[in-house]
Amino acid sequence: MSPQQQAPFAATCPDCEVTSDATEANEIVDFYRRHHRHTGHDVVVARADIAFDVPATDDVLAIVDALDARYEDGVPVGIVVAAASEQGVTVGETLDAIREVRLTGALAEPRDDHLTAV
Amino acid sequence: MTRWNNGLDEVERVSPDITDETNALPARYFTDPDVHEMEKDAVFGQYWVYAGHANCIPDSGDYFTRTIGDREIIVLRNHDGEVQAFYNVCAHRGSAIVEETPMTDPGNARRIQCPYHLWTYDLDGDLASTPRSFEEAPLNPDLEDEDVPELDAEENSLMEVHSDRIGPFVFVNFADDPMPLAEQAGRLETELESLPLEEYQLARRIVSEVECNWKVFGGNYSECDHCQANHQDWVENLELLESELEVDDYHWVLHYKHKEDVDDEMRIHDEHEAQFHYFWPNFAVNMYGTADGYGTYIIDPIDEGRFQLVADYYFRESELTEEEEQFVRTSRQLQEEDFELVERQQRGLQSGAIAQAQLGPNEHTVHRLHLLAQEAYETYDA
Ligand code: FES
Ligand SMILES: [Fe+2]
Repeated sequence: MSPQQQAPFAATCPDCEVTSDATEANEIVDFYRRHHRHTGHDVVVARADIAFDVPATDDVLAIVDALDARYEDGVPVGIVVAAASEQGVTVGETLDAIREVRLTGALAEPRDDHLTAV
Repeated sequence: MTRWNNGLDEVERVSPDITDETNALPARYFTDPDVHEMEKDAVFGQYWVYAGHANCIPDSGDYFTRTIGDREIIVLRNHDGEVQAFYNVCAHRGSAIVEETPMTDPGNARRIQCPYHLWTYDLDGDLASTPRSFEEAPLNPDLEDEDVPELDAEENSLMEVHSDRIGPFVFVNFADDPMPLAEQAGRLETELESLPLEEYQLARRIVSEVECNWKVFGGNYSECDHCQANHQDWVENLELLESELEVDDYHWVLHYKHKEDVDDEMRIHDEHEAQFHYFWPNFAVNMYGTADGYGTYIIDPIDEGRFQLVADYYFRESELTEEEEQFVRTSRQLQEEDFELVERQQRGLQSGAIAQAQLGPNEHTVHRLHLLAQEAYETYDA
């Protein structure tokens, strides 16, 4: 990637003050997992260039519901994370919320790190 | 010599002696996903690898987890106060047992319990207890309760991983019959053990992701030919030409002389210099000479083109002073400068233009790194 073009996504750890650029939304989630494994730190979405409007809510089920139709095989978790971050929610918090809802059966994962509403 | 990739891809081995010949490790070893997979066994499955710092788990039952390649381990302090390492894998049906627990935020347990069917292990890894359903067989018509065999505590223990220490640094080795840590460490062990490393506390961890192969960063760390041009703030106070590079079998040390004597209070070792120790494959210990403390680096591969730099800073107290904060910031700036260099080098290597680079006459430390990598691959292939 040349320095002129910015990656569409980025995540930051406020404790370490390090930022990781990402081409795909789900790479934010991977970054969070690797970073969390070493530090226990939560990270926040620093940039998310999404080509469409995301619903103004941090309710993960509502986000997946609203975006489901756009994706054939599930909404990338990273997109949900990015949408919720607009409401000030961290990556770790969103992933926890997703897990909670999945355990109720209202969300399913048709393929790794992609979600559909059931 | 440099071998450009004219479609022939012809490369030579890393030169056995860098003073005669200058062959670097061929470029594909920095860019090929298969090499990354192979290294999980050939390198990280064979040599002693840093697991963490014993000071972070002072009390019995304290533990943290660490993932090396695909292997997840629990490092814990047992009832006798010894540090031991186990695979984070249950002896019953192979479930991972504890959640990821970083060294910066360790857990404590009186026993290790698998959440799946509640098999419970002592801190020395032995099976301590199982639920009734593993002692009786009411649901199995073919088996009488009294015929259910008793589970032997040792035979059903967690799988231990070889571990050993240099001072407070805990290392693990996944090989069946590894060479002793003392042999891999050589003089490094004596040098590090002469310092009061255990008197210092982990005060800060900064983890960065960098877009280059871990060996590219390792190589950059190991030489200072790039410093004059790229770390101008830092070299201002150094006599670069008076630095010394000391190379042993599996480690090398860069000694940097300070132009002026720094305050004696400001370092844990007594030379008037900074010392940077690189320990194959991916660990480094930094004695800055300008701070009463030290740092460690773990150069942790993510894939063939990315790694995580785990930078830990140890000071007298785990609470940072104003000066120490500033010191960490300066160190971090140095890292950022290096990240730019190594990411640029990785881009060049990935372009496919170069099949094999060459090393300079003062890059005998980098040569050592490349040679060790090649030897590891060859031993693994054999
Ligand atoms: S897999 Fe651990 S108790 Fe069953
Ligand atoms: Fe550097």
